[in-house]
Amino acid sequence: MPTLTIDEREVSVPAGASVLEAAEALGITVPHFCYHKALGAVGACRLCAVEIQAGPQHGLRMACLVEARDGMVVSTTAPAATGMRRAVIEYLMLNHPHDCPVCDEGGECQLQDMTVAGGHGVRRYRGKKRTFPNQELGPFVEQEMNRCIQCYRCVRTYRDYAGGHDFGVLGVRQRVAYGRFRPGRLESPYSGNLVDVCPTGVFTDKTVRFRARVWDMQCAPSVCPHCSLGCATWPWARYRELLRVSGREGPRTNGFFLCDRGRFGSGHANHPDRPRTPRLDGRELGWPEALEALRERLTKLTWAHGPGAVGLLTSGRASLESARALGLLGQALGGAPVVCEPHPRRDRAVRALVAELGQLGRDQEDVRQSDCLLLAGLDPEGEAPMLALAARQAVRRGARAAVWDPRPDRLPFPARRIARLPEALLEALARPDGRAPDGLEAAERESYAETRAALQAAERPVLLGGADLLGPRGVRLLLAAARALSRPGRACGLSLALPGPDSFGGALLCPDGPDADELLAGIEAGRVRALVCLEADPLSEHPDPARVAAALGRLELLVVLDHLPTASAARAHAVLPTTAAAEMDGAFVNHAGRLQGFARVYSAGLPIRVTGQGAHPPREFRPDTPGELPQPGWAVLAALAGEPVELGELRAELARSEPRLAGLAGLVAGGPGVQLALEPSARERPDTPAEPGVAEGELALLSVEALFGSEPLSARAAPVAGVASEDALALCPADAARLGLGEGEPARLRSALGEAVLPVRLAPGLAPGFALVQRRFGGPLEGFAPGGGPIACRIEKGGAR
Amino acid sequence: MDAKLEQDIRAEFEPQIRACAHPQELVVHLLRAIQREHGWVPDEGVELAARLLGLQPIQVEEVATFYDKIYRRPVGRRVIHVCDSICCWSRGEQEIRAHLEARLGIRLGETTPDGVFTLLPTCCLGACGRAPAMQVGFRLYGELTPDRVDRILDEERRAAGQGDPP
Ligand code: SF4
Ligand code: SF4
Ligand code: FES
Repeated sequence: MPTLTIDEREVSVPAGASVLEAAEALGITVPHFCYHKALGAVGACRLCAVEIQAGPQHGLRMACLVEARDGMVVSTTAPAATGMRRAVIEYLMLNHPHDCPVCDEGGECQLQDMTVAGGHGVRRYRGKKRTFPNQELGPFVEQEMNRCIQCYRCVRTYRDYAGGHDFGVLGVRQRVAYGRFRPGRLESPYSGNLVDVCPTGVFTDKTVRFRARVWDMQCAPSVCPHCSLGCATWPWARYRELLRVSGREGPRTNGFFLCDRGRFGSGHANHPDRPRTPRLDGRELGWPEALEALRERLTKLTWAHGPGAVGLLTSGRASLESARALGLLGQALGGAPVVCEPHPRRDRAVRALVAELGQLGRDQEDVRQSDCLLLAGLDPEGEAPMLALAARQAVRRGARAAVWDPRPDRLPFPARRIARLPEALLEALARPDGRAPDGLEAAERESYAETRAALQAAERPVLLGGADLLGPRGVRLLLAAARALSRPGRACGLSLALPGPDSFGGALLCPDGPDADELLAGIEAGRVRALVCLEADPLSEHPDPARVAAALGRLELLVVLDHLPTASAARAHAVLPTTAAAEMDGAFVNHAGRLQGFARVYSAGLPIRVTGQGAHPPREFRPDTPGELPQPGWAVLAALAGEPVELGELRAELARSEPRLAGLAGLVAGGPGVQLALEPSARERPDTPAEPGVAEGELALLSVEALFGSEPLSARAAPVAGVASEDALALCPADAARLGLGEGEPARLRSALGEAVLPVRLAPGLAPGFALVQRRFGGPLEGFAPGGGPIACRIEKGGAR
Repeated sequence: MDAKLEQDIRAEFEPQIRACAHPQELVVHLLRAIQREHGWVPDEGVELAARLLGLQPIQVEEVATFYDKIYRRPVGRRVIHVCDSICCWSRGEQEIRAHLEARLGIRLGETTPDGVFTLLPTCCLGACGRAPAMQVGFRLYGELTPDRVDRILDEERRAAGQGDPP
């Protein structure tokens, strides 16, 4: 730990830290552009000059490039340093168009700040400025190249950090520009990070262009609700409209960056058809009347038919507190059980994980630091986009990676691949002798053996998987493999992508309730007469939508609490509007068992953009706010149970009743969160039966999530809905040829998930024997709920689309 | 770019590419070959080079736009690079450039209507000892005076007319 003196104050920093970082530790910000914590230093901008007055180096130096050493004496305020910084910022500003008034970065612009900090106020240069034509980069990112100061952060993020391959640096000298070869949508799933890392207004968020200044917006630390990783975010709202999301530093989770689903998917909160008023039997009501009427009906049903007459269903979208409040409603109704996921296979997979995980859970930071990764049945781009980026950082540092998955490889890093379902391989890995499964080809056997040996030899191995493909049996095998690869003092960790942001928390609260199929059976048998759905949409998420539709039709009362206009809400007798995550305080437990709090950014209400119809806010005097009725799910449920509570009380109750959630008591939004103290359940591990295979001659259909369009929240956000890929049926070329199908030709797909006519897409990376579709809301594949694993399907030529 | 050119380039480079551990090294060679045959490098040329080398077009474009002697826009048959670096500047570059512009009737970045000359500035030809200097095609000329520039232009125009290589 070198100790040095900066501006007459002493500081000790970890070996290898730069002088700039050492100053940072003292709270001294040396002006800089190209240095970024996640990207490191390249010395491109020349702004961070300091004077080194004693130590191994002497004189004017770039603070980001000089390693802090013992005994160094540094001045950030010496005239030589401030003079150099003033000169550099003046150079960097030579070509700047001085268009801050029309620049979206204005007010949160590092260039503005550094120009002022550098003491450059008056332009002396009178020559011509170099100008660039801008490129059209798709719906997310706006480019205004003239504002660039050549710090290279964009290309270092896009290409080096995120592995994108359609963005680069063009030109030389004065003419350096950053962009694509041809105009067009940025292809990387992480393109939006350009907006965060660019310290100037070159790259800004196109979805909110010219909408607000930073000081016009409300903002609070939040957690991304679009997958189970729980990345740290700052959502920003103005006039009751959730405008945009930017990345927040999450040392254990996302680091700094976000995926484009998390960044551009927030528009669901502004959806025009979102439920905003309690509705009962087609009538809009105030809260007291609606709750009173529903409480009476639920109570009557329970009195008449027992507590089993009411079914309670939640999903991984609901906050931890809301899921708890649903359980409390069940208790108030005499013991109605909670079903925590509309998809029974997903449900069992998550519960299997939560029961057995113990201390093996690994978050994104663990993955970044790992030296050996196995991705078994995980497609990060669809299920947990940032997990791919975390794995890429490990691989960049030299970690080995292997993939066992039949789906085409689209990972941003090289990996040894076995194009098969991972189950048999995991089973082998979990056995003490680890012998390769039968039926592998020679090269696959070798690859398997090599991966196993690498995992055994590694210091920080992590197994990654996806609950959707693995299912409960696969998850148990993955857990067993992790245990088999662990030895005292060195665990093999596990990082599993789950369906929703609080899937983990939901399963923690109901480890052994019934699943959705048992619930449906209860409805079909007439035992369950009413159903309360908390932010759950069984019609879109259960693998048999026809069965769900029939069952819902039998109910005497269907109550849906949601902030999305879902298919199930459209069929409900009662709809109770809830708040979106950005509109409430709450907590999620992420995929690795980390409890994280999020704070309310703004209060729900109809955006002024809507009430004012785009013009001046209406001059209508009323005591309330239009559209303000949505309430947090937990508050609605507590009121429905007749026992209204405050969030603090609910959390305290939860922390008392569930010791693993004791961390809730001191949870602060924006903090690092609390890793739950999990013990593997002492119960005997059930032997999960193998799932019915797919018969000879049939293709195995995988319905999976896509980056855009599959996840229920972001699929309803306008910018994301606009880029969801076309519905298609992917086949490997050999299977397509056997079926007489060519690229783009229509094929009729029949399966237990439903029927659809889709154009064929040839996917050379897809293993033979598989058919792949991506569920997309609002299209023919809406009912193809992901999470079912491989199921039998039939594919024929033709049919009109 | 026509299919024939693509075939020729492919035939010329495929053996080299196969023999090369890092085909990326050949970017400049490929671009220059395309330029030799086509006069300049169109977008399709960048894409061709990327295909042959197993790179993304942007990776080739980065190199193509870095070097000022790879032309990404149509140019005349003789490209004049007149040096505006410090040594030439201190030895009369401005006068030489003004003379060139007047003689050719074009400004920097333009091509003469007969398609013979394109006039571009360049930053250092490595001929500081013979400043002021310029390069026409592949030929370097130093110690320029307006008279000498006139003679060079006449000679180059004549050679271009005969179809001599630059
Ligand atoms: S575009 Fe932005 S991030 Fe990229 S070099 Fe320019 S200023 Fe830096
Ligand atoms: S990876 Fe998941 S949690 Fe992270 S930003 Fe993307 S959708 Fe949100
Ligand atoms: S931050 Fe040090 S040179 Fe840019």
